[in-house]
Amino acid sequence: MSASPSPESAHQTLSEASMSDIGRCSHFASALIDGAAKASILDKYKTVVAWQARRSQEASSPAKRRKISAPTCGTCEVSLSRPFACLRCSYAGCWSEGHISDHLKGAGHAFCVDTRSGSVFCAECNDFIYDTSMDNIYLSTVVAVEERQTNFQVAKRGREPYQIWTPSDEESAALNDATVLPCQGRRGLLNLGQTCFLNVILQSFIHNPLLRNYFLGDRHNNKLCKHTDCTCCEMDNLFQEIYSANTTPFGPTSFLATTWKVSAEVSGYSQQDAHEFFITALNQIHGTCRGSTNISCNCIIHSTFAGQLQSDVTCERCGNVTSTVDPMLDISLELKGKTGEAVSGDNTLAGCLRRFTKPEKLGAKEYSCSKCTKVSPEAVKRLSIRKLPPVLSFQFKRFEHKTAGKSSPQKIDAAVRFPVTLNMAPYTTLVMNSKAKDGEKGYPGPDAMYEYDLFAVINHEGQMDNGHYTNFARFQDEWYRFDDDKVTPSTLGACLDSHAYMCFYVKRHLDYKPYMKPSYRLTRESDIVKEQALEKEKEAARMKEVDDALMAMVGAD
Amino acid sequence: MPIPQPELDALYVQVHKRLVESGEWDRIHHLLASKLSESGWTDDLRHRTKERARVMDPLTFQALLEEITPQAKATVPLAVKREVTNAIKGYVKEQFEK
Repeated sequence: MSASPSPESAHQTLSEASMSDIGRCSHFASALIDGAAKASILDKYKTVVAWQARRSQEASSPAKRRKISAPTCGTCEVSLSRPFACLRCSYAGCWSEGHISDHLKGAGHAFCVDTRSGSVFCAECNDFIYDTSMDNIYLSTVVAVEERQTNFQVAKRGREPYQIWTPSDEESAALNDATVLPCQGRRGLLNLGQTCFLNVILQSFIHNPLLRNYFLGDRHNNKLCKHTDCTCCEMDNLFQEIYSANTTPFGPTSFLATTWKVSAEVSGYSQQDAHEFFITALNQIHGTCRGSTNISCNCIIHSTFAGQLQSDVTCERCGNVTSTVDPMLDISLELKGKTGEAVSGDNTLAGCLRRFTKPEKLGAKEYSCSKCTKVSPEAVKRLSIRKLPPVLSFQFKRFEHKTAGKSSPQKIDAAVRFPVTLNMAPYTTLVMNSKAKDGEKGYPGPDAMYEYDLFAVINHEGQMDNGHYTNFARFQDEWYRFDDDKVTPSTLGACLDSHAYMCFYVKRHLDYKPYMKPSYRLTRESDIVKEQALEKEKEAARMKEVDDALMAMVGAD
Repeated sequence: MPIPQPELDALYVQVHKRLVESGEWDRIHHLLASKLSESGWTDDLRHRTKERARVMDPLTFQALLEEITPQAKATVPLAVKREVTNAIKGYVKEQFEK
């Protein structure tokens, strides 16, 4: 990579390098030419990566009194918590003392792998190498181990093993004829008059991997849809515009118009609250989605955003626990304590989540126990997350509503620190309940099921009634700032330093429920069956007409 | 009375082995990782390393690691350092008492 003075061109160079294998190591490429050598290297790689993935499970379930396998360094015999494994022989060694690189040079073996990250090191290049096929092997090996380590709680079944999509002959032919477009969604949105609230929410949809895949995968085709004022069609249209080759800012006029028609409360040119619009938009898209239902819906919105919140109320007198489960599309977090004071010190997302899931005493007369039938002044309520959605949306409640005694609602501008990666395990019902039982700790599943990566942040500057919304979003591994029509390269640091109003996280590894079909497919299949039946009827009717005509002719003779 | 260095080294290897085999190493590591993440240290380091890598030429892992390590070590919050050190000390003490 050549040194470039401006951050923008360097920005480009990094993403170009990751798109083509410019940095690909020629030594590794040539080592894989021979079939037998390739098989041996890849087998070794998969073995050590899978071993490390299984081992990290053993470490997090301390109930087992068995020892955890700990290889020792071939040079200094210290136990290795993070082994680097040679890909040619059975040597494993320390990185920090240089033992593994000494081995590679001494034995003339070319490659080793960091078992924890799956990164391959080339002794000739004296550096870690980039290889997308190795990245794919790493991911599929780790996911296969994780699949075996998790069980659905209610269904008591294992996960559906992930299968790579291989195109059929028809599909390959279709792909060969298709025009290839760069898959990039960095396009500004025009402000149509105080519509920055709309733009930031749309950008959060555009950079949402699940929504993007759904609409770019043509799952709701606005040309075939028969609804009028269909927000789902507007989404399809939006994705087509954004991912087109056109980079000039796009004006989402029809999206806005449709939203107004469907929900009168968001109409008008005054500034709206982005979060309110977010919920409205989700409901509208759900409503116009094929196959959506009112109960246990698995339309794209519910598949993406819907989780479950569990509320456990414990009667302190008899110990009876009443649990209720409610659906949730997002999580709204308080920035103020119960008595209205600003919370200091613990101003982090984790702190907000701890407060959210903290047991709170219910006031007198708020609860009456069904078991001991007393109006119990001593009841404790605790919230926890029973089901985590693939996309987690957080809102920090920065805007107070008008309360008696306050002249005008205040905006809480304080910074709240949020992380790039978030582990939600401590706030889930499963983990919180297992901690409550003394000593007993079941294995809650691999970390990847609870780990989320930040992909979009919405900011608000100014006061409640006249402010401006902007947002950050991540495209591949780079962060960009979106200010209506202006899109500029930015950094992770700038994003994290901003005062967030809403944050969006996506689960790192998706877990598939076995034997499930999404509702739009089921509906389409039943529609196809109906259409075929209709066709048969029409055909039968036509044949009958022909027969009748023939009979009439014959009869006339 | 002072313990001679070779014996100290052998003791270190023994304790280290027990730490890893009992899973305590991984548990303490997990604690360290979550405390560092919540304090913003991890993300700050990620940001700084990325921006440094963006303009470093020639870019190698080793060079980046050597440059970043001192500031990374220096910026670990004191409270986190204390908590983790105590966790390690606690375990080591427990091992010697057995």
